[in-house]
Amino acid sequence: MFEDSVWANIFRKKEGEKVDILTVLKHIPLFQDLSKKELRQLERILHQRTYKQGEVVFNEGEPGVGMYIIEDGEVQITIGKDRRVLAVLSKGDFFGEMALLLEAPRTASAIASKASILYGFFQPDLFSILETYPRTGNKILLRLSQMIAERLRRSNIENRELREKLQALEAKGK
Amino acid sequence: MDITINRFLKILLFLLGLAAIGWLVVKLSSIIMVFIVGALLAYILDPIASFLEYKGLSRAAATGVIFLVLALILFLTVLFVVPPIIDQVKVIQHNLSSDTSAEAIKNIEQFIRKNIPFMKESDLNLQVRVNEMVTHFSNSIFGLLGSVISIITTLVIIPFVVFFLLKDGRSMIKNLVSIIPNRYFEITLNLLYKIDLQIGGYLRGQFFDALIIGILSVIALWFLKVPYFLLIGAFAGLANMVPYVGPWTGASLAVLVVLISNGEVNQMVMVALAFAIIQLIDNVLVQPLVVARSVKMHPLLVIFAVIVGGQFYGILGMFLAVPVAAIIKVFVIEVYNMYKKVNLAF
Repeated sequence: MFEDSVWANIFRKKEGEKVDILTVLKHIPLFQDLSKKELRQLERILHQRTYKQGEVVFNEGEPGVGMYIIEDGEVQITIGKDRRVLAVLSKGDFFGEMALLLEAPRTASAIASKASILYGFFQPDLFSILETYPRTGNKILLRLSQMIAERLRRSNIENRELREKLQALEAKGK
Repeated sequence: MDITINRFLKILLFLLGLAAIGWLVVKLSSIIMVFIVGALLAYILDPIASFLEYKGLSRAAATGVIFLVLALILFLTVLFVVPPIIDQVKVIQHNLSSDTSAEAIKNIEQFIRKNIPFMKESDLNLQVRVNEMVTHFSNSIFGLLGSVISIITTLVIIPFVVFFLLKDGRSMIKNLVSIIPNRYFEITLNLLYKIDLQIGGYLRGQFFDALIIGILSVIALWFLKVPYFLLIGAFAGLANMVPYVGPWTGASLAVLVVLISNGEVNQMVMVALAFAIIQLIDNVLVQPLVVARSVKMHPLLVIFAVIVGGQFYGILGMFLAVPVAAIIKVFVIEVYNMYKKVNLAF
């Protein structure tokens, strides 16, 4: 399946099933630098949400304020009215982290393709953790910037490759 | 047909539920008031608890430390400030019924009659009015808390509410948010955050501003040897929390007290000048430092909100008018923006 570098979890680790939320969180790249104590601080802030199969997590175009972590279940990231699937995410994956920094409309929709338990981490929570536990907040912020920089780098490479292909096709056409 | 009846029943049930909630709110308004005051205090103290948490204390320990400090301040206040205030109220009541003040009021009446010829005899009768006002005023000072429930119960319940809201408020809000349906969850969270941004700074700023103005007023009035300086200073500080109207009320009261007690023009001018300087200090130094000007509202809207607040909830309503108006404003703007964005996107 086509997976683009913005929505696919390129940081996914191939590891066995994990049980508690702290372990799930520890495997989220955004939180991997946090100690157990810091993870517990974070867990107290996260919002646990339950979704039925087929329930919309968020719609493309809606203002977004944060990211979701999949504790259990499966979420499809889709685009357009015909709901073209960009990525299928499962346990331990996360999506929507760009909204933590940028209060902009969602660029794709997220739909729970199986009954799912998600953890929401939102911009206000990030600000609150930056205020109350700045060390923890800074670690998250640094990882977030690194991840977005990495995505940008990959997008640039993809962009360059596509442009080269396009040029090659144009040259052939002439 | 069945669907219509079902729908009708649902609407009826909803309206009945709403009426029941309304009835409960009215019936329990005194207790709700205690909770509002408690929640307000907890909200004002929250950044201090967060700061102590940042310094490494647990939330419970941070709340404990704040309460210890508050208890100490309260103890010192009761020890040093409350007895003179009670004395001053007693003196005011005694003096107003005495001959000297009756004489002073008669003088004022004569002065008004002489200079404002179209004022009818019956319009005046200041003595009775002033007496009524003072009885009402001193009653309302002690009645502010006392009339709600008995003063002892209030003094026990408010700290209790503040303690638990300060300690567990965040998880309570989290639990409340968790029952919101998925569809509206993000929007609600965002709204709560925006409202907090708008009114948090304002309320905390107003509180510390009132404290500073109160202390400055007490010092100035004490220095100018104005009688009942503690009472008027405390009132001026509290009144300062009501926008526009408050500062004038404090100053007018002080000038009025001087007028009634000895009528010295010099002292009256000095008191007015002192309040003008305090307002200047407030506007130039205190407000820019402590009051986050996050509530951006037109002065007319502020005045309107204050009047409406006063109509519904008296003094507390006047204090709360601006933040409540700010909440409504944020709510309307955010919901409007959200719909605009959603409509633009599709």
